[in-house]
Amino acid sequence: MPHIPIERHQLDNGLRIVLSRDDSTPIVAVNLWYDVGSKHEQHGKTGFAHLFEHMMFQGSENVAKGEHFAQVQAAGGTLNATTWLDRTNYFETLPSHELELALWLEADRMGRLLPAMTQEKLDNQRDVVKNERRWAVDNQPYGTWDEKLQALIYPEGHPYHHSTIGSMEDLSAASLDDVSRFFATWYAPNNAVLTVAGDFEPQAALAAIERQFGPIPANAQLPGRPDMSVEPRIGQEIREVVHDRVPLPRVYVSYRMPTFGTDAWDALEVASDLLASGRASRLYRSLVRERQLAQDVTVFAFPMVGGASMFTLWATTRPGVDHEELEQALLGEIERLKTDGPSAEELERVRNLHAAGVESSLERLAERADRLSMYTVLFDAPEMINTEVSRYESVGAERVRAAMAETLRDDNRVVLTYLPADVPEPEAEAEVAALAGAETGEAMAQPVEAGGEEPAR
Amino acid sequence: MTVANPKRPAPSAPRPYHFPRFERRRLDNGLSVWLVPLADSGLANVHLLFDAGAAAEDEAHGGVAALTAQLLVTGTARLDAGAFAEATERLGIEVSSESSWDSARGAFQALPQHVGKGLELLAEMVRQPRFDPAEFERLKAERLADILQARADAGRLADEMFLRNLYADSVAYRRSAAGTPETVSELVRDDVVSFHARQYAPDRAHLIVAGSFDTDALMRDAERLLGDWSGTSPGHRSIQPTRASGRRVVVVDRPGSVQSELRVGQIGIDRYDPRYFSASVMAALLGGVFGSRLNRRLREELGYTYGAHSTFDPRRAAGPFVARAAVQTEVTTDSIRELLGQLDGIRATAPDEAELREVKNYLIGVFPLRFETTGGVAAAIEPLAIYGLDDDYWQEYRGRIEAVTPDDTHAVANELITPDELLILLTGDASKLAAELREADFGPMEVVPAE
Repeated sequence: MPHIPIERHQLDNGLRIVLSRDDSTPIVAVNLWYDVGSKHEQHGKTGFAHLFEHMMFQGSENVAKGEHFAQVQAAGGTLNATTWLDRTNYFETLPSHELELALWLEADRMGRLLPAMTQEKLDNQRDVVKNERRWAVDNQPYGTWDEKLQALIYPEGHPYHHSTIGSMEDLSAASLDDVSRFFATWYAPNNAVLTVAGDFEPQAALAAIERQFGPIPANAQLPGRPDMSVEPRIGQEIREVVHDRVPLPRVYVSYRMPTFGTDAWDALEVASDLLASGRASRLYRSLVRERQLAQDVTVFAFPMVGGASMFTLWATTRPGVDHEELEQALLGEIERLKTDGPSAEELERVRNLHAAGVESSLERLAERADRLSMYTVLFDAPEMINTEVSRYESVGAERVRAAMAETLRDDNRVVLTYLPADVPEPEAEAEVAALAGAETGEAMAQPVEAGGEEPAR
Repeated sequence: MTVANPKRPAPSAPRPYHFPRFERRRLDNGLSVWLVPLADSGLANVHLLFDAGAAAEDEAHGGVAALTAQLLVTGTARLDAGAFAEATERLGIEVSSESSWDSARGAFQALPQHVGKGLELLAEMVRQPRFDPAEFERLKAERLADILQARADAGRLADEMFLRNLYADSVAYRRSAAGTPETVSELVRDDVVSFHARQYAPDRAHLIVAGSFDTDALMRDAERLLGDWSGTSPGHRSIQPTRASGRRVVVVDRPGSVQSELRVGQIGIDRYDPRYFSASVMAALLGGVFGSRLNRRLREELGYTYGAHSTFDPRRAAGPFVARAAVQTEVTTDSIRELLGQLDGIRATAPDEAELREVKNYLIGVFPLRFETTGGVAAAIEPLAIYGLDDDYWQEYRGRIEAVTPDDTHAVANELITPDELLILLTGDASKLAAELREADFGPMEVVPAE
């Protein structure tokens, strides 16, 4: 396994810095995590953290609208930003001789965003984000799944009750005042981690970071983290059926699980791979290949850190298969793994897949930088990047069974089923979509990106 | 506020970057072996390519190439589907097998210690496939269901309908490389068996290995595992792309849609076209970077969409050129007007030097980023293998981009974007759109159901 070198520094204004050198290719990745995400949004402001992220590309005191993208791309770089429940990240990968360009662009918007803000820009990006929601959620088969799951897994008022994309109504209500307040509250050096990974000379890089970020003042009144506490289990099974424009029924099963960073989370990550990673996994073998109930099957342990995370499975029925039979088969495999598994061979399989996967992911400097920022923001421990494989391999069969028994229980489960709608009246369909947007809220358990689809290289 | 650093920092001295050196050998049976050792890689990527894409099938069996490729991973004569999955995944290897128009590819990525064993399993997979009847039926049904799923997705539906309406009935490119429900549902196991027997042969095959591996050991393995394979493949048929019609507007009715998926374009270029580089630069300037004309206008000025893009899809024969965006229903007509305006604009005048400079700098500067990963390097060899591009293709790449002038861009825009041939297709709610689209009169228009 690669050992990722780590060097930590901190500026007087509180900005935490992680440097990780690798000069094998003349490129460098710059990555900034701000410790702010959609969980910090107030009632009536859903979607704002993500809308704000878009505003960060609308220029700052010394950078014109559109120039951030233009400068980095003209330098031969790639870039984007994403917003998720726990954080917002901004990143560039570019030829190493342009490192300071990325630092300057990031510093200008961290320190001097507001002089460039206008109502026109806000209105424009509000429209863009609404179209992002239409594209990713409202006009997408099964597109509302994650906003629905979050609303069912977390109680009203919990910061994860709504998801990142936000409701149309709240997006409409966002104002320039909100932009100023949000910026002043969260976009401060003492609420961020800056990682530089790749080809650079450490002393020169540090000097450039000091030059660009050093003058930005800290926020002395940085709020504490929101109260995320929640019962470890839901306490009942919750079921919802959605009639949607989908050709095949799909069943989502989701549980409240321990947070990312705990031993139990690691054990459940292993469980998720035993269940659905690869064609030799239990669910693929049983549901897709042998019994042919499902067209596909996916399991995901979300890396959320506030109160409780989500362990989510979904499977799409094969044509002609009863979705209830599929659900029973899915739950049956979970029960079986809880009682009889996993074998030594199964553990060897997922461990080897995981190790190869880590090696592959960390080949990309952008991914390396992002994980270093992540471990620093979430746990103040960037060195966790070097224990991903050993933490995974430390999970034995007993820990898998114990963690599954604690979490994957009948009284801790949401079952969300999408069924094909009977040929909808066009108007009624549109109303349903609008209502879903306004009432139950928001979308995307996946991070939401600023730049749209990656342009073809 | 704080002390500002108002000026863009100057770049430091660039470090040169070169595409990794590679070596090309040949086994006696004709199989080419491309070796790309990468000193800093902790992985190896192995790709085995065949002239067994959709261009190698006949229209009555549309989709047989894709189904054959997908079936390969479901086992060998020795190992059934479950055992093959176990054997590979216990090495941390996920073998993939897929096909496009121009090739089929079995591939895997592995930690260096597992490359030899992985290659053994890959060779067994392509030489002694099981083609289990039950797996055949399962994957065929999955494929048919996937077509159903695709048609429920506005974007994938628009892609499918665009091709169907772009090319004439006789042209294979009017459908997906994976076939149509009509052709796939007629396929039987024997079709797959005979397609495999005919097309999977060593003479036109390419083994690409990139990353961390021992060259001598790899060559010994290649000889041992693939060297005694004999046979020749007839290769692929030639496809003559002709268009279905002149300019027209097709509205694919999708009641209740809150967005319209726009696809505007025409038949583009093939992979051998001498205008490849000027066309690539032109497409990037129009819709390939964030600040491109389409994205700037439709997203950053008008807020009509989350993103607008344009691309060529060059294949052995001319694939489509398409500009695309998902726009909110209410602004569909205006979006088309704006999009067509940008196509007119790029035809009307040559771009100024500064605009072209930014795009060329992007395409040239991003070069080392494309080859950051072992998989990226292995993938970069594929067009050399499939299309027979010169071995110095990547050495020359940046120079050829740099050589594109404003006049070249202008000329290629006029040659390749011809308003009287444009197909303007959208999926959306026809009840809300048909009247104003007729009024806008972008061309002869038809409304078709989303079937």
